[in-house]
Amino acid sequence: MSPEITRRNFIKLLSAGAGTFVLTEAGLVPIPEGLLGPDKAFAAQSGTFPREETLIARILTGRVGTPDNFNHWVGWKWQDRGLQNLADEPLWTVDFATGEIINGAAAGDPTYSPDFMTLTVSLRQDVAWSDGEPFTAADVVFCIETLMKYEGFNAHTFFVDNVAAVTALDDYTVEFQLKQANSRFHTNFLDRWGCTRIFPKHIFEQQEDPTLFTFNPYVGCGPYKLHSFDPQGSWTAWEKREDWDKSPTGILFGEPQPKYIVFQYFADEGAQILAQLTHELDVVELSADGLKALLAQADTSRAYQPTFPFVVNNDPCITGIVFNTARPPFDNIDVRWALTLAIDIVEYTSIAVDSSGTLSPVHVPHLGPYPELYIKPMQDWLKEFTIDVGNGETFAPYDPDAPKRIAEYAQSRGYVFPEDEEFIAKTFGLGWYKFAPDIAEKLLLKNGFTKKDDKWRLPDGKEWKISYMTGTVLSNHDARNAVAAVQQWKKFGIDASMFNTEGGADLGYVGDFDVQTVWPAREPWGAGPDLYRTLDDFNSAYIKPVGERNQASYHSRWSSPELDDIIKRLRETDPFNTEQVVAIGIEGLKELVKNMPGLPTYGYIGFVGWDETYWTNWPGSENAYCVPYTHWPNFKYMTPFLKSTGKS
Amino acid sequence: MNFIKRYLIPRLISYFLVIWLGITIVFFIPRLIPNDPVIKMVDQMRARGSTLEPGTMDGIIHDLTVMYGLEGSTLEQYRDFWVRLAHGDLGVSFFQFPAPVSDLIATALPWTLGLLLTTTAISWVFGNIIGGLAGYYTRRSWSRTLDAVAMVIRPMPYYIFSFVLLLLFTYVWRWFPVTGGASLGALPEFTWGYIKDVLWHSFLPGLSLSALGMAVNFQVMKLLVQNINAEDYVQYARLGGVTNTRIVSKYIIRNALLPQITGLALSFGQIFSGALITEIVFGYPGVGMLLYRAIINGDYNLIMGITMLSIVGITTAMLIVDLAYPLLDPRVRYT
Repeated sequence: MSPEITRRNFIKLLSAGAGTFVLTEAGLVPIPEGLLGPDKAFAAQSGTFPREETLIARILTGRVGTPDNFNHWVGWKWQDRGLQNLADEPLWTVDFATGEIINGAAAGDPTYSPDFMTLTVSLRQDVAWSDGEPFTAADVVFCIETLMKYEGFNAHTFFVDNVAAVTALDDYTVEFQLKQANSRFHTNFLDRWGCTRIFPKHIFEQQEDPTLFTFNPYVGCGPYKLHSFDPQGSWTAWEKREDWDKSPTGILFGEPQPKYIVFQYFADEGAQILAQLTHELDVVELSADGLKALLAQADTSRAYQPTFPFVVNNDPCITGIVFNTARPPFDNIDVRWALTLAIDIVEYTSIAVDSSGTLSPVHVPHLGPYPELYIKPMQDWLKEFTIDVGNGETFAPYDPDAPKRIAEYAQSRGYVFPEDEEFIAKTFGLGWYKFAPDIAEKLLLKNGFTKKDDKWRLPDGKEWKISYMTGTVLSNHDARNAVAAVQQWKKFGIDASMFNTEGGADLGYVGDFDVQTVWPAREPWGAGPDLYRTLDDFNSAYIKPVGERNQASYHSRWSSPELDDIIKRLRETDPFNTEQVVAIGIEGLKELVKNMPGLPTYGYIGFVGWDETYWTNWPGSENAYCVPYTHWPNFKYMTPFLKSTGKS
Repeated sequence: MNFIKRYLIPRLISYFLVIWLGITIVFFIPRLIPNDPVIKMVDQMRARGSTLEPGTMDGIIHDLTVMYGLEGSTLEQYRDFWVRLAHGDLGVSFFQFPAPVSDLIATALPWTLGLLLTTTAISWVFGNIIGGLAGYYTRRSWSRTLDAVAMVIRPMPYYIFSFVLLLLFTYVWRWFPVTGGASLGALPEFTWGYIKDVLWHSFLPGLSLSALGMAVNFQVMKLLVQNINAEDYVQYARLGGVTNTRIVSKYIIRNALLPQITGLALSFGQIFSGALITEIVFGYPGVGMLLYRAIINGDYNLIMGITMLSIVGITTAMLIVDLAYPLLDPRVRYT
């Protein structure tokens, strides 16, 4: 006979269960004995990795969602957790800090046939995969043929559309025969935070369906091999290869110094700062305020620059504003110029990035080779360039003194930095556009806009409202530009507001926005003079009507026959012929300035903090030997130059 | 028999109806917002440096649409979803392709359950016991002190509260780790060393959740007890010479617990949604971040998998409470 469940019995049972549970938990939850105190806690935090031999950096793209899957040729696999930056070795890598192209697994520049229908690539000899097998042309041929065979690979369509045949001419020479002329085909193998990388034939040829292969443990030609990873995706650890001298990094730059490198996930900026203050995280990437807080508290942390503005300001991307030129009134060039001239760039950069941005008046950033090749040679043209204000009046909008005004403003707020012209130009740029609200007003009045009660009205009499679409992370540069632009346009009398959304990509593709950010033009390939990648994004072939998915990367939906012709000429030019490439590139930039489909403001800024407790010789501005970011593919080229302090 | 016919069967019908309705709404809503998983992935691929010709773009979009099983109309996808679900298949994650949704949830859920079951239980038990006593002995100084502490903790934004704990215990005193569910290099294994390591990492997230939960339960229970204490039947019992212990345990606490038990059931049901801010501040693994990432990337299958757990969790908890109520409250009878 089973006992009857009465109300009384049930309550007793419940109370007994709860009591037991609480007592058990009370016994477990107190801090395990012997773990308290900084030293022991610190040792436990370091786990199996001796701290003096270990470098700890943050995974930029967040907690790894597929920790046990390293097949980054399919979908998204958090490649900055050490895949691209330690374990992989691409054919070529751009280095925006030095302006050089690094020949990694390739022995030199590729060679195109005069008609750009054939490409020959020479491979570096004496390179081995991390499992000891030699890296040869057979790997390259097998990799490309396999990518073309399976639809599930990310690069499948590109290679099917472009490659007629790929052949190994010998063990270290590969020839691509293309389906149509393509003078930039090689850029698919040029690493700039991503490219087509080669996978090992001897492993992938054993897989029935390589798109479903998890490729665990990972095998690459980089100087580090997989050590272990957290099944929750919080960290991935890499160990220096014993045969590091068989990796292109080792061959080119010598022995990497850290024995272990761990990429760890931090969701919260505050936790990142605390981790560096307690020396548990060597490299952090923060917001402007986060970096200030770190530098104010830490004795052992340093920023990229030793003085104001402290930040990494030599990134290859230009930030700014994108106008949807397929939607009135932004289809009107006068309106785009009016919105440009309504901006006081001194206030704008102060609001956006605490005056630490490097200005660029054209659609490439002020860094690496671009000032010398493009921005300085364009100064005379920029100064002479005028816009038609109406009634026969013209106006020269360029302001070469804008950087000086920003420097003065920063000094007035107490920031201390060198005052020489070279520093001012390098830090704040060579010029931008004038703050001319009177001219902006004339441009709008010329086009039927009216102003009533200090509020601008559209030609149809309705109040002019601008919805500025941007992301939801307010410390990101899309939102920083949005905040500053909205404030400036409100001040000018436009009812501008921010529209924060996670759906920006979708809305951008179909043209459902007024103004958005963050990139007014696609970045070039990070270094080198070729602007094909930047200009080609404005190709009229990529533009679709509003409502259909645009094919360009950024969605101003602007093009012109003149720019199409420039793109065509650039495509027919040898990318390694610097003189011709630059001449055509300048023509392209002039066309963009004249039409201003997107407004370049300041170059992308990174707020990097390095802890010098365990590792020194970071590539700061005074010694910029390498790209300073640990999430970039170039991090592996930094590792031989880092110096251990010997502290344990 | 009367109970089954008049109460249980209609209750079970409404139980399954609510689950079906919840799942259906969650299926359609992500598809109505402009957050296409294919476009999200194309964006990722574009950031990887390839020069994509217009034809190439269309081809990639087509390949991904096929690979994700997003061909056909939304209604066809809805039908396929139920067919798959009937076979116990939640599909694969789009953003974490080709990881099965069930694997992703199975990896994250133990962390969420471990943390939230413990903290929910601790905060409920201690919050109610202390709150009940404080409500009865409301004029005592310790009761007023505890009330003041709860008044300070409860309105504090959780992010600020947890970050203050992080600051104090990891930087000022350096007793606990800054981030993660376990130490760097520690791999899951059933050893005391690993369990101890996990508990050590769980302490601050657990403390933050327990303290706030306890403050809430404390204040609610204190008010309930204060109100019941003023009821006529309690006054009569007191005048009739019933002992204080009996009044507190039989007359007051038991009555005050009834709404709290409903609250506990709801809290247990909500556990399956995870604790996003805790996971962000303490870098703790769990379902919250998995769901957040699924939403921002339009990962329909993963959104479905996690919210389905939550829907089933909450409705089941409510069903159990409803069925168990006659056992807890003598006034309720399903006859």
